[in-house]
Amino acid sequence: MAEIVLECRNLWKIYGKVVAVRDVSLGIKEGEIKVLFGPSGSGKSTLARCLAMLTKPTKGDVFLRGECLTRPGVDLNKARARIGFVFQHIWLFNHLTALGNVMLGLRRVLKMSKEEAEKRARRALREVRMEEWADHYPAQLSGGQQQRVGIARALAMDPEIIILDEPTSSLDPELTGEVIDILRELAKKGTTMLIISHEMLFNREVADEMIFFDEGRIVERGPPDHFFTMPKTDRARRFMERLIKQTARD
Amino acid sequence: MYFLFEYLHLIFSGFLTTVEVTFFGIAMGLVLGTILAIGDIYGGKIVSTLIKLYVEFFRGSPLLVQLFIFYFSIPTLLDIQIDSFTVGLIVFGLNSAAYQKGYIKGAMASIYEDQMMAALSLGLSKFQAIIYVILPQAMRLVIPAWSNEFCSLAKSTAALLIIGERELTSAGKTIAGHTWRVFETYTFIALIYFVWISAVMKALDILYEKVKIPGLEVSL
Ligand SMILES: Nc1ncnc2c1ncn2[C@@H]1O[C@H](COP(=O)(O)OP(=O)(O)O)[C@@H](O)[C@H]1O
Ligand SMILES: [Mg+2]
Repeated sequence: MAEIVLECRNLWKIYGKVVAVRDVSLGIKEGEIKVLFGPSGSGKSTLARCLAMLTKPTKGDVFLRGECLTRPGVDLNKARARIGFVFQHIWLFNHLTALGNVMLGLRRVLKMSKEEAEKRARRALREVRMEEWADHYPAQLSGGQQQRVGIARALAMDPEIIILDEPTSSLDPELTGEVIDILRELAKKGTTMLIISHEMLFNREVADEMIFFDEGRIVERGPPDHFFTMPKTDRARRFMERLIKQTARD
Repeated sequence: MYFLFEYLHLIFSGFLTTVEVTFFGIAMGLVLGTILAIGDIYGGKIVSTLIKLYVEFFRGSPLLVQLFIFYFSIPTLLDIQIDSFTVGLIVFGLNSAAYQKGYIKGAMASIYEDQMMAALSLGLSKFQAIIYVILPQAMRLVIPAWSNEFCSLAKSTAALLIIGERELTSAGKTIAGHTWRVFETYTFIALIYFVWISAVMKALDILYEKVKIPGLEVSL
């Protein structure tokens, strides 16, 4: 059986009075693709950020290949370098070109020489078909191109898992395709991923397991077909109906 | 105006003093202001309160009072001597830091959270993120405010005259006293201020255009 790469146990995240994540346990195995979906405000981003240790969990533990990251004294920078993260609102470094964005982590975290970093960064940009745009600044790129650079930036670090938080939801509908194509290729290569996504056709195609998330907890989980044919809970069924109607309209 | 030629050396040495104090003040203000801005954002409650007190003092009291404190009060208290030029360097540096801290913190805060999280996600430390991601953007955004700060500081150095430092305005005062040609003298002094301040501000405009990056402009 494949090893679990990233896992949380009994994870809670509380912001003041808002319980964003309540008692969630979840693991992603080597080569596995898990898709997380659910209503906006249900705590998906918070869970993803806690897993990547970009937000400190209030309670509970996170493990990266069995190593507990929520204990004091852990080198979180090292751990974060092994977990790729792609943000909903992209968040490229505005003062750096596409190439500069991809090179920063290679240079400053992996301590590569300039030549080596550039070679690897260009390779990552080629993988997302952004090589010709290497010298452009974020503001000179379309949303879809920016997000492809965002993916290259995470990919170049050669992470053990990539977490993607609604990578297409801030894009115009006509630009989501180019990003989805890249993700599809990553899936084919066996990249370990946790993807938050409401692109249901894509989800159905790539997910090993889909997880319906609502009010900070896992409401229902199973293989994609389960959700397309017979979700058990009312909430999941209603959410699926709405999504499918939307997809049909698009 | 030919009588002024006799006093060129006096004008020139006064001008040099003015320029030195101005540039030193701006440079020290930039370094210290950056440190204060970082301290205010990351330092926790106590550090941040201390920084606030510092800023309140330098922004909330007259420059002349600050000069007196450093020229008279502190030397008396510590039983030391500080010459007026050094007092100028210290006071204008500390004073400018208080103002520049505000500009730099504002610029840092405007780009802070999302860029910081993106940097952390790559494995950069917080310190690296500040150095490689936050400051390069903040500094670009802060240049226009910096230009205003320079403009006001360059003129405020005239206050040094009150503690007997021979800067540009005090040179004018001396000449006017000797010659009684008050109008010509001060017109000429004003012209010198105008020319050098405009030149530096123009240079800062050019710098701003040079380091400008698409999408990172300040809307003026
Ligand atoms: N930094 C934060 N501070 C306070 N509340 C937050 C913060 N981040 C998220 N929340 C709250 O946590 C809840 C879950 O948000 P989020 O994880 O963004 O949901 P989703 O990604 O599913 O839309 C929301 O109620 C949101 O307002
Ligand atoms: Mg979200």
